[in-house]
Amino acid sequence: MKQRTFIWLSLFPAFLLLAVFTFYPFLRGVIMAFQNYELFNLNNVDFIGLQNFETAFRDSKFLTALQNSVYWVFFSLVFQFFIGLALALMLKKQFRGRGVYQGFVFYSWALSGFLIGLIWKWLFNSQYGVINDLLLKIGIIHERIGFLSDPHWAMFSVIVANVWYGIAFFAIMLLAALQSVPGELYEAADIDGANAFRQFFNVTLPYIMPTIIATTLLRVIWIFNDPTLIYGMTNGGPAGSTHVLSSLLMEKLLAGNYGMASAIGVIMLAILMLYTIFYLFVTKSEKVGDF
Amino acid sequence: MFTQSGMKTISKLAVSSVAMALVLSACGGNDNNNSSGASAGASAGSSAGGEKVKLRMIESLTSDTRTAELQKMIDAFEKANSNIDVELISPPFDQADNKIRTMLSAKEDIDIVEARDLNVAEFVNNGYLEPLNEYTKNWSEFSTVTKTALDVGSIGDKLYFISNGLYQRQMFYRADWLKDAGIAVPKTYQELVDASIKLTDKSKNRYGFSFRGGPGANSVPDTMVLAYNGANVNTSDAMFLNDGKSIYSSPEAKQALDLYLKLFKEGSPADSVGWGFSEQVQAFTSGVTAFLLQDPDVINTLKDGMEEGTWATAPMPTGPSGVALISAGGAGWGITSFSTKKEAAWKLIEFLSSNEQNVEWSKSYGTIPIHSTATEDAYFNDGPYKTLLDMTADPKTFVNYKPPFNYPANSKFGTVSMETGQQMLLGKASVEETLAKWDKFWIDAKAELDAK
Amino acid sequence: MAAKATLKGLKIVYLALHLAVVVFPLYWIVITSFKPKGEIFKLPITYWPTHFSLSNFDRIFTVSKFHIYIMNSLIVSIVSAVAVIIISILCAYVMARFSFRGHKQIMLAFFLTQMLPGFVSLAPLYLMMSDMGLTNTRMSLILLYTTGSIAFSTIMLRGFFQRIPASLEEAAMIDGCSRITSLFRIIIPVMLPGIASTFIFAFVQNWNELFQAVMFIDTNSLKTLPVGMNSFVLKFDIDWGSMSAGTVISVIPTIIMFAFAQRYIVEGLTQGAEKG
Repeated sequence: MKQRTFIWLSLFPAFLLLAVFTFYPFLRGVIMAFQNYELFNLNNVDFIGLQNFETAFRDSKFLTALQNSVYWVFFSLVFQFFIGLALALMLKKQFRGRGVYQGFVFYSWALSGFLIGLIWKWLFNSQYGVINDLLLKIGIIHERIGFLSDPHWAMFSVIVANVWYGIAFFAIMLLAALQSVPGELYEAADIDGANAFRQFFNVTLPYIMPTIIATTLLRVIWIFNDPTLIYGMTNGGPAGSTHVLSSLLMEKLLAGNYGMASAIGVIMLAILMLYTIFYLFVTKSEKVGDF
Repeated sequence: MFTQSGMKTISKLAVSSVAMALVLSACGGNDNNNSSGASAGASAGSSAGGEKVKLRMIESLTSDTRTAELQKMIDAFEKANSNIDVELISPPFDQADNKIRTMLSAKEDIDIVEARDLNVAEFVNNGYLEPLNEYTKNWSEFSTVTKTALDVGSIGDKLYFISNGLYQRQMFYRADWLKDAGIAVPKTYQELVDASIKLTDKSKNRYGFSFRGGPGANSVPDTMVLAYNGANVNTSDAMFLNDGKSIYSSPEAKQALDLYLKLFKEGSPADSVGWGFSEQVQAFTSGVTAFLLQDPDVINTLKDGMEEGTWATAPMPTGPSGVALISAGGAGWGITSFSTKKEAAWKLIEFLSSNEQNVEWSKSYGTIPIHSTATEDAYFNDGPYKTLLDMTADPKTFVNYKPPFNYPANSKFGTVSMETGQQMLLGKASVEETLAKWDKFWIDAKAELDAK
Repeated sequence: MAAKATLKGLKIVYLALHLAVVVFPLYWIVITSFKPKGEIFKLPITYWPTHFSLSNFDRIFTVSKFHIYIMNSLIVSIVSAVAVIIISILCAYVMARFSFRGHKQIMLAFFLTQMLPGFVSLAPLYLMMSDMGLTNTRMSLILLYTTGSIAFSTIMLRGFFQRIPASLEEAAMIDGCSRITSLFRIIIPVMLPGIASTFIFAFVQNWNELFQAVMFIDTNSLKTLPVGMNSFVLKFDIDWGSMSAGTVISVIPTIIMFAFAQRYIVEGLTQGAEKG
């Protein structure tokens, strides 16, 4: 077999599936962004240019969601990453019961975002929620906190749930990366008399940097795009204060306003593409696909 | 816009080849056999005479107990009609309506669909539903179907679904708490608010009212505004007054909303700003709140979760002029316009809608039966249902109105009202500003309707 | 030396705290699953069931058909994960071993798939599946789940391939193996840990997928586990008894898998993370 043929034959199944089930339906969805496509009346679907986009940018709800998306992604990512990294560093050395310990701390990754949203909605509930009950019992608070009903708390609460969810991903990925650092590098550093702190910054960190760059990039994209946790937990409430772009998109979709939903989707894609280009430029990483 | 047949053929070919490859490589193909085989059988069944007809039916207000009950009725139907098979599709409740509309838009093989007061206009606009007027002509029990039941399923003079049960709100209250506190059962909204405030004791985690600021939030403020506007409301176009202005524009509306805000601030848990159905009912059953305004389908939930004698029902509170505006809602069975088995589908609907079946269903699921003859059943003349009949029997106090289901914008009002309402409850907007927003919403909605 | 001991003490405290925070929700779900219906929302909150009940588990296997849903989820998740591994191995191999025109663009296209907000495609996808007669078949989910994990799996597997010296297969090819044979006979066995970890990631994603499963499956006997669990979100309340029991059941396969493959996951990812 010629090499060229082999290359393209190998890529073909993936191309075919992605073209048919990912790109094509997305493009069909994108067309609706330029139409007044509302399920209430499908008889009058017309092209309306950029009107959906204009409406979006004039809507304070959209702007809130845009702003929330930034908080949502930034704080979720930062805490997931640093806690995940700390955990990975502590799990790097073998100790008794490490396997079992890992099994327990990584299980959150095996649940769905929607389910996690529901569970945390219950935990945070001010009447039946365990969190309020525990805080009252310990005496940290004296009045129940409306974690999900008070707009000052709501965004904080959904981010807490998301951090809880995503730590495992970073811990797993970074742990693997840490264990791949060749022992000789540390030995060399030991001879140089570097302390643990300097060892981390001079040896470990540079070595696992590509993994960090790749995983953080992917996580940003996933957190930004995934509405399921917020959908399960607050559905954007109260008063739209926890809507992010992805959950707002879903709300428009469920309300039958496909045109607006698609317009939001297009805006989201544009934001992510700009972000990725910027990120790759800043990190000077051309080989981001290399885990 | 979705019919680009060239692309369709190409993608079809492409997919079937990949599908083939996957089947061969791994999955053994057993899943292909039983499902596509089934649908092929269905279309064959309709054309050939003596063969079995296969009906596909989808429900919207799904729950496992309701599905089980419905399946029982369907089994009885299949037994009586050995040439008809029925497949019941029960998507999870929170995504059912979206799935139904997507299936309808794809003209999927669905014969009977559960339409709701909320979405029947949407379905009719898009031509998904078959008018049932012709079919009802030969239905022996049609004459006893109540007007309310028919109204819910009609657009203009055409009937699109036969309700499977009606919903109408009443007041549920903690009889034991009221007795202990020496409070009479509230008859007006003012009394309800006063009683709620009196019963609220944060230190005991006890509150007056099962408030609902989350999804479905508009129901209480709207009923209060309607009750306060009283006789001025145009009952056939109930978001507007007789003088053509919206119900939110009057001084009475401000009174009502001020009281509503007070009810939230002083008589309800702060958390309830985000509550929907579930939290609202849960708060009542678990002994956090004393009053609940809800449909009768909570009755079975309350019976399950609370001790007998701790709760009771009363008619809806009235406004200052002594009237309350009430309306019934409902969901029911309609036939898709593209069904090829309409006769068989109607046969099933007729069976499910018979007095006998409907009464059983209403009891188990907690709805108001659709036949006037059902009121003879002792079950509905007693206990929690009685207040509903009392309300119906007193149309001067409890004035019936037509909800604005004919407005395209109506489906959006729930979300708009919830979010603007929450802003008001959280102190980010005043009562006046909020009323102005709702007023504008309905003026625009009317303009949109008139433009069509 | 003292500093080291303090450090170790701090580490233990931190790990214990972390464990408590992460495990608490699981603990809560597990005890809820054993509480009788009346106790779940009873105030004051009980931190241990006053009496144990198996009624929730009984319910999800009788009223709800969890044994069927589990079967369907296993079929759909495993078949898609196997399919995606086969497809992605080929892709990843080519992307790791050869440089050719369009290489960079293809890599970017894989990343692009991750950026598309999936809900935009849901309605068009449904119409496509309907045209193809694939609605209400497990095949629809298998196709979608397979497609859904191609990009991530390829990116991961490519990393593993880059760790294996090309000389290994070149030696095999000199011995007369074709490229395909050397790929499957020589390279893949070396890469097994990496493949196992990729498989698990794909499996977990499919195992949890809800929205497409709700949309594309009608018949009860074809429903997957997440759809079955979603049915406990009712009009008036969430049936937390059944939901908790369902959650406990649904994490078992993934936990077993994690336990068996733990060594492989970390080891596999370790290989992948190595830089050449």
